[in-house]
Amino acid sequence: MDWQGQKQAELWMQILLLVFSVGALATGYIIGSFRMMMLIYAGGVFFTTLVTVPNWPFFNRHPLKWLDPSEAEKHPKPQKAVVSKDKKKSSKK
Amino acid sequence: MGWIAEHVESIKSMKIRDTLSQLITLGMIVSTALIIWKALMCLTGSESPVVVVLSGSMEPGFKRGDILFLHMSEAPFRAGEIVVYNVEGKPIPIVHRVIEVHEQENSGKVDILTKGDANPVDDRSLYAYGQNWLKPQQIMGRAVGFVPYAGWVTIIMTEKPIIKYMLVGALDSAGETYLLF
Amino acid sequence: MHSFGYRANAVLTFALTILALMCAIASFSDNFNFPSPSAEIQIVGFNGFKKKPHGNDEVSLTMNITADLQSLFTWNTKQFICSDKLGFGCPMTIWNPFFFVFVAAEYETPQNSLNQVSLWDAIILAKEHAKFWIQTKNKYRFVDQGSNLRGKDFNLTLHWHVMPKTGKMFADKLVMSGFRIPEEHSV
Repeated sequence: MDWQGQKQAELWMQILLLVFSVGALATGYIIGSFRMMMLIYAGGVFFTTLVTVPNWPFFNRHPLKWLDPSEAEKHPKPQKAVVSKDKKKSSKK
Repeated sequence: MGWIAEHVESIKSMKIRDTLSQLITLGMIVSTALIIWKALMCLTGSESPVVVVLSGSMEPGFKRGDILFLHMSEAPFRAGEIVVYNVEGKPIPIVHRVIEVHEQENSGKVDILTKGDANPVDDRSLYAYGQNWLKPQQIMGRAVGFVPYAGWVTIIMTEKPIIKYMLVGALDSAGETYLLF
Repeated sequence: MHSFGYRANAVLTFALTILALMCAIASFSDNFNFPSPSAEIQIVGFNGFKKKPHGNDEVSLTMNITADLQSLFTWNTKQFICSDKLGFGCPMTIWNPFFFVFVAAEYETPQNSLNQVSLWDAIILAKEHAKFWIQTKNKYRFVDQGSNLRGKDFNLTLHWHVMPKTGKMFADKLVMSGFRIPEEHSV
C-alpha cells in the first residue's frame, strides 16, 4: 500500500465505521431492537474490514517515483559526509 | 569498512531506542490503567469500583462474566438495592439484593438482610457463623451500572494465567494504537 | 497503516471504541422513556398473627396485587433465554425482556425509625405479563425485630428494578399506605 493509499484506508475506515454506527443506532432505536442494532453494526465492521484491511489495487495508484539510476549518475557525487547525513535523515523518516 | 561499522552502529542504536520506546509504551499503558482505576475509586467512593460477577445466584439479572460498576454514597441502604458485601473469612465478595432493612434512629445501627434473586432462601447461611444481620460496614457498594460479558477477560486471565502473559505481549506490540484511540 | 496486521488492529480498536460509545448512547436513550406505571394492593386477610418463642411478632397475610408496568420496558431492557432449571415459569418465546418486582412492608417502631420487610417478589418475563393480577400469601416471612406489630399501621410498597442490556440500572417504587395489622395475636 502506498502513502496515499494508507491515508485513504484510514480515512475510509473511520468514515465507514461512523456511518454504520449511526445507521445501526437509528434503526435499532426506531424499530426498538437492540439486536438489530448489533447485527447492523457487526455487518458494518465486517464490511469495513473487507474494504480497508486487505491490500487492494486501488490503494496502490500512487507509487513512489524513485530517481532513475542513470539520472543520478549524470550529476556529480556529493561529499561523503553529506551523503551519510542524508541517509540518517531518510532512515528516520 | 568504516562505512559498514557506522551502519551496524546505527542499527544497534535503533534497536535500543525501539526497545526503550516499547518499554515506555508499556509503562504508559500500565500507568493509564492505574490512573483510570484510582480516579474511579475517587469518583465512586468504593474501594473496588468495578467488579466481575462470578456466580449465577443473581440470574437472570447478572450472569457469570458480567461487569458491575459500584457506587458508595452516604445514602442509607434500602430494600431492593443490589449490594456487594464481604463476609468475614471469605475471600470473594458477594453480590445480592437487599430484602430487609431495620434501621435504628438514635444509635444509627442498621440491620440488613440480603438474598440472591435465583436462590430460594435468604443469605443467613452465607453470613459468618451466628451472624443474623449484615452490617453496612461490610458493604463495598451498590451496583449502579452494568456491562455484559466484558468480565470474561478477567475470569479467563485469573483462571488461566498464561493468557495474561500472551495478552501483555500483544498489548506491547499494539500499544501505540491502544493509546492513539 | 502500512501492514495488514496494523490495519486490522486499527479497525478493531476503532470499532470497539465506537461500540462502547453506542452502548453508552443506548443507555442514555432510556432517559427519554417516561413510564406511567400503576399498581394497587389490597390485603384480603390476615391468616395468622403470633408471637414467636423468642418474642418477635410474626404476621402472615394474603394480598391482591394488581399492576400495569408495561411502560417500563424499553429497547434497552435486558433479555434472557428462559430455562426451566431456573424455575421462573417461562413462557414459550425464547428471548424475553424481564424485570424484577417486589412488595415490601414498611413501618416504624419505637425502636427502629424504619423497617422494610420484603413479602413477595417475582420476575416479570414478558411484556404481556407486566399487566397482571395475582392473589398471594406472603412469600417471605413477615417478622418484626421485637413485639411491636399489634395494631400497627404500615405501608406496602411495590418496587421494580429494571436491568438494562448495558448501562445504568434503574429502580423506582409506588407507595400504598393505610394498612393495619390486627390488635390481637390470633394464636
